[in-house]
Amino acid sequence: MRIGVPRALFYYMYYPFWKTFFEALGHEVILSSPTNKKILKDGLEFAVDDACLPVKVFHGHIVDLIEKVDVLFIPRIISIEPGEFICPKFLGLPDMVKSSIPDLPPIIDSNLSVYKNRKGLIEHAKSIGTDLGHSSKLILKAYKIASTKFNSYKKFQISHEKLPLDSGQKSFFDSNSSYFSRHKNKCLGENTLNVLLLGHPYNIYDNYISMNLITKLQKNGIKVITPEIIPVKNISAGAKNLKKRLFWTLGKNIIGSTYYYMDCGKALDGIIHLASFGCGPDSIVGELLERKLSRNRLVPFLRINIDEHSGEEGFNTRLEAFIDVIEGRRRN
Amino acid sequence: MECYLGIDVGSVSTNFALIDKHGKMLKKLYLRTAGRPIEAIKSGLKILKEDLKDDIKIKGVGTTGSGRKLASVIVGADVVKNEITAHAVASISEIPTVQTILEIGGQDSKIIILRDGIVVDFAMNTVCAAGTGSFLDRQAQRLGIPIELFGEIAIRSKNPTRIAGRCAVFAESDMIHKQQLGYKVEDILKGLCQALVRNYLANVAKGKEIKPPVVFQGGVAANSGIKRAFEEELGMEIIVPEHFDVMGALGAALLAKKAMSQNKQKQTNFYGFEAAFKEHRAESFECNGCPNLCEIVQIYVDNKLMARWGDRCGRWSENVAV
Repeated sequence: MRIGVPRALFYYMYYPFWKTFFEALGHEVILSSPTNKKILKDGLEFAVDDACLPVKVFHGHIVDLIEKVDVLFIPRIISIEPGEFICPKFLGLPDMVKSSIPDLPPIIDSNLSVYKNRKGLIEHAKSIGTDLGHSSKLILKAYKIASTKFNSYKKFQISHEKLPLDSGQKSFFDSNSSYFSRHKNKCLGENTLNVLLLGHPYNIYDNYISMNLITKLQKNGIKVITPEIIPVKNISAGAKNLKKRLFWTLGKNIIGSTYYYMDCGKALDGIIHLASFGCGPDSIVGELLERKLSRNRLVPFLRINIDEHSGEEGFNTRLEAFIDVIEGRRRN
Repeated sequence: MECYLGIDVGSVSTNFALIDKHGKMLKKLYLRTAGRPIEAIKSGLKILKEDLKDDIKIKGVGTTGSGRKLASVIVGADVVKNEITAHAVASISEIPTVQTILEIGGQDSKIIILRDGIVVDFAMNTVCAAGTGSFLDRQAQRLGIPIELFGEIAIRSKNPTRIAGRCAVFAESDMIHKQQLGYKVEDILKGLCQALVRNYLANVAKGKEIKPPVVFQGGVAANSGIKRAFEEELGMEIIVPEHFDVMGALGAALLAKKAMSQNKQKQTNFYGFEAAFKEHRAESFECNGCPNLCEIVQIYVDNKLMARWGDRCGRWSENVAV
């Protein structure tokens, strides 16, 4: 069966797992095209008005897949870390899509929640497999293959500091091997500028949404660090400094990374926070970030808010000025 | 004499600054862009050419502002720099100890924080252009007051009225409301200055540490009412530099001077003042190469394609035979 996976939202975290799992069950995985103007336009047309940009873009990816697949995969993601939640929009995502887009193929909307414990992932796999009509023996086998691959991918991601960036039509997972032989950037560069790029994975790694932010920084010889390539224990150590525990996983990753680098005296040259306009969790996370950073003004901070109206010119002007600032500081 | 030229093409004004090799201002021009940047750049070049003696030799050119790319194609620039860096460079050259720059232009406003002569932080207005030059222009026009007299009249006010400054649309309706209630024009204008300053400090300068010396530049710095409102709100002296209205252009000229002095062998890309008499044409089309449908702009100089931009992939912009 052809299973459609939208190249949006949690694609940037779970694609290695889903792809391996579906293929181990004997299905073909069809990925939507990388985000482009048409996908954005379709997303704007179908999604509810008050959704954030990445959710609108997700709708566009669904439209892109409708004609190409037998089944659509839109998991209901509730929690991806024990004791933590993610944005409530993910919880209602399958329903949002069902009510907004007509003539959809069947949808697999299995829950993914590891809120109670990490067994949530196997439950997630079982529920998908059962929906597709497989025996529990085959499901378990496929789960083992997929979770092994997923775990080794995540380890590799951190050890090789490999950002989940798509290259052309290829997914970040497929273009893996050729990518990391060319880009070896271990630990903080001594002679390069190090910039911590904060934001939700589906914003910062989507080249269309982020207006090629990562490539633009790298072209200027800047080493880009994101929460995805920071060891989990460092993020948790950083996040412990908050008086009250932050229960959004993505927000915790942003704050944890910042506190970790700020408090460990690691040599950062700049911090960029890319947030989508109207993002509830980020409105608080952004404020916490700004307070932390304004207290010890040691690192230049750039905050960029994006929505479907964002112009690339203004974005470039700010980015260029920011690069001038961090280069100027380094020279002195 | 050896000189450097800086051009700042902004939304409202197009400015020129000509400096000598010591960085001294020889000639400055402040022209209205009036929605036609190409014409504004060309008429600036013509004016400069007529005013200058023949022994002037342009050794380097810098462009800045939102039209910096366009200006660079027309005149042939050596440095193309964003306006934040250009403003900071100019300010440091005028007031070397500056720690805070407030800049309000035609359609954008920014704050630049410097420590020990280097920029450490900056911010620019994002979604809202309330309280920039265009808005003040429009309000002065609506009240029938020449924009040059705006500040002077505002300063006369003893009882400024409170205007909602969050949004230009609401500010205007608030002003109309106050004027229908019978408030004096000067009180309304002063109230508007205060609202604008409040809005700037709450949005653009949010969370920034404003330390003296504070320099106020950009076209709006001509408005003494705004300057006074800043002084009252911040409780410190505000310095308006001599060339406040062309600081971007001055910065671009200084950057060009610096870039050329670092490489003595390098010849300037400047096409000469004759560039003003060439024919420039801009065209655009939608590329159908992929679903992104980028709008590509093409600039022709004397019917020869000189530059292209607007594509995401580089298919057009990287293929210009010059």
